[in-house]
Amino acid sequence: MRALILTFLTWLMAMPAIASQSVPVDTGKVTASLVSTHDRIAPGQEFYIALRTVLDEHWHTYWRNPGDSGEPVQIEWELSDKLSADEINWPLPRTIPTGPIVNYGFEGAPLFPVKFKLAQDAELGSVVTVRANFYYLVCKDVCIPEQGSVSLPIAVGAPLEDLGWKPEIEAALTEVPKKGNIQGGIIKANSTVTISLLNLPEGDFSKAYFFPYEQGVLGHSEAQILRRGSKGLSLTTTADYIWNETIPETLDGVLTYENGETLRGAEISLAVGKSFDIGEVSAPEVKIAGATLWTAIIGALIGGLILNLMPCVFPVISIKALSIAKLAHGERGKIRREAWLYTAGVITTFLLLTILLLGLKAGGTEIGWGFQLQSPKVVAILAVLLFVIGLNLLGVFEIGSRLQNTGTKLTQSSGVAGSFFTGALAVIVATPCTAPLMAGAVGYALASPAFITLAVFMALGIGFALPFLLVAYIPSILTKLPKPGPWMERFKELLAFPMFAAAIWLIWVLSLQAGESGILFVLSAMLAATFAIWLLKRGSMITKTLGTLAVIVAIALSISISSTSNPGTVSRLESEAWSPSRVAELQEQGRPIFVDFTAAWCVTCKVNEKVVLNKAKTQKLFEDTNTAFLIADWTNKNDLIATELAKYGRAGVPLYLVYSNNSVSPVILPQVLSHDVIRDAIAGEKS
Amino acid sequence: MTISRILLSTLAVSAIAIVAPASAKIATGSNVSDMTVTDSDGVLHNLSDYAGKKVVLEWTNEGCPYVKKHYTTKNMQKTQALAKEDGAVWLSIISSAPGKQGYKTGAEANAWKVEQGTSLSAVVLDPSGDMGRSFSAKTTPHMFIIDESQTLVYQGAIDDNRSANPKTVAGAKNYVIAAMEDLKAGYEVAVPDTAPYGCSVKYGS
Repeated sequence: MRALILTFLTWLMAMPAIASQSVPVDTGKVTASLVSTHDRIAPGQEFYIALRTVLDEHWHTYWRNPGDSGEPVQIEWELSDKLSADEINWPLPRTIPTGPIVNYGFEGAPLFPVKFKLAQDAELGSVVTVRANFYYLVCKDVCIPEQGSVSLPIAVGAPLEDLGWKPEIEAALTEVPKKGNIQGGIIKANSTVTISLLNLPEGDFSKAYFFPYEQGVLGHSEAQILRRGSKGLSLTTTADYIWNETIPETLDGVLTYENGETLRGAEISLAVGKSFDIGEVSAPEVKIAGATLWTAIIGALIGGLILNLMPCVFPVISIKALSIAKLAHGERGKIRREAWLYTAGVITTFLLLTILLLGLKAGGTEIGWGFQLQSPKVVAILAVLLFVIGLNLLGVFEIGSRLQNTGTKLTQSSGVAGSFFTGALAVIVATPCTAPLMAGAVGYALASPAFITLAVFMALGIGFALPFLLVAYIPSILTKLPKPGPWMERFKELLAFPMFAAAIWLIWVLSLQAGESGILFVLSAMLAATFAIWLLKRGSMITKTLGTLAVIVAIALSISISSTSNPGTVSRLESEAWSPSRVAELQEQGRPIFVDFTAAWCVTCKVNEKVVLNKAKTQKLFEDTNTAFLIADWTNKNDLIATELAKYGRAGVPLYLVYSNNSVSPVILPQVLSHDVIRDAIAGEKS
Repeated sequence: MTISRILLSTLAVSAIAIVAPASAKIATGSNVSDMTVTDSDGVLHNLSDYAGKKVVLEWTNEGCPYVKKHYTTKNMQKTQALAKEDGAVWLSIISSAPGKQGYKTGAEANAWKVEQGTSLSAVVLDPSGDMGRSFSAKTTPHMFIIDESQTLVYQGAIDDNRSANPKTVAGAKNYVIAAMEDLKAGYEVAVPDTAPYGCSVKYGS
């Protein structure tokens, strides 16, 4: 007996080594081979064999659900009867976009591991053969179906691991998504599906993506809009055809996320018709596919530049322009210093605003661009401030007078503080205006981590300050500016009137926010401010004290204003208040819907109303097409509206949506409207 | 990242000058908006010209293995012949951009039409991809059927075997023929929406 065993062992050792990799087959764009965790296995043992595919650069093969086009990798096994094979352990898919098409697949060298089991009765010393007939579609700009056959002999005996391939196969298996504790549901409402997920594992879910196993669950090329809650997250995207058919009770797939820079995946099973409370705090995280940090920064930069031309900023910018003109023919160094100080003022104010925004966001308040104007107190203070600046421009009081706390002296003195505070003031009055290109960038910024928010707002600030920096550094512009003279005094006085106009507009905004009592308070505050100026112009201690007192009264009056719950209607169009349920109702009736996300303090919105929406032509268009006109008024704080804005990646108004009758999800119109754009959108034309 | 890509994505982010469709796919059952397209003979076609007739749209790309599967086996030609018999208009659309696989000039398209023994009504040349994008055509082949009242009644694959292997044509369920039969019998299309399969449409970027 002992002799027999010894002989057997000797034979085992003498047996020629069997390679654990098959001869690779080059099918054209891919080289395929079989690799194994074991060179030799014992009867009854489980082990893994993987189809290893090495793709040419930029070529890809497809996941089990290939996405919009393509075909999955397929393996057909030809096995010795002692072997049994399990299913493919699919590697983590990536989204591969090509134009408007999105595929799910792999690049590089994906491994497709499969678990094998050797039967108990396999004969020691025999060799079992694994043959894989494989097929894959491999695509770059064109697609090629490739196929081949590879085989690998495995010895039966004392187990022997393959030191070369085992670690690689194990690494691939670690990457394979596993069923964790994630609890998930999926519901369809109108044309969108929302996936809600709880009990998430540790990791970064800011780029989370759901890959369904089945086709037809969701539009593969549609963005999956992500929201974080305290308990989980939700993904909202467009529903596909499966929802019109009999749906299984659960829909399965893979959720990908990141953990320490590496992509991870979890297999999840979504209960159909179920929605979980993800504990959504009011600051949703929004990611629209395609928006990247750089595009947001560039968008912000250009947006900031254009912001200079917006009506709310113009008066303040004019003051700055004037001071530049004054210096234009003088010392260049001084102009540059001024320009840099102005830039510093702009950027510091943006920074402070951003920090304030982040603080409020962390505190759970739903906020966005222009949020401070939702507070009637801020509107009142701004109105008084603009009024006082106007008085100063008219010459009611002098630059040299020792006024404190009005900001006027600060903006008027040509010194350090003057330039700095003109910058600050420009930013504050700019906030009600949204420039083109800004909406996307700001929306992205507010939905991103704090440092990105800061970076994007910085870019906005730099863009905003850029014109003056350019003027200071391009001498040819300076010499073209008119020579200083008495005309400057007239021009300065003239600028008082846009200031007063801006103040009137703010008072009107206030009337919608705080009603009649608000008007009473703000006008009284203006009276107190004027009285303070008059008092402070006198020299004595008593008048100064009284003057300071009057300033305090002016401020106190302004901040005692509180909003009334009933904001006035913003538009003259026959309209209804917006709500998600009203949209659903109207969609049921098959009516086209125009949704106007607006606010009284939003100048861009007002311009669109004036120029397009309130025009008879547009009203007639709505009547003729039986379009419902819904208004979502964000003049005062409203979390429902803020959430809806976030859904479209926006952090502010205006936002215009059109639901035409032949498309169930809305079309987002540009921020600067035109009659034709609305007409085409209602007709369902996708230009 | 190239400059043009940055600009493009900046535009996409801002969604300013462009009306961004939030949903790309046209729902089955919607009225198909009229759109003018040019065929290989330079003749203009408008979908509304065909009100009162059934229209079958076939996205094609000669180089695509899945298209080859249906042409070498004459499956596509057979489907075309049946549609023609039924009085339907058949438009084969090439949305490949110039330089991309499947792109054809008018003369090339006409030659291909004859070589393949097709019985289609016209080959629509859509090198800009406008028509393809507006229908959300994803693959070649990708099939659409529009009924007499200009309503989209079918969109998706030609059959239920999603392979490029020509052997799989026999025994597969041809969705287009099934839908045409449903319509002919006066029924609603039983399977109105399936996942198309094949190569991606070679749109210009």
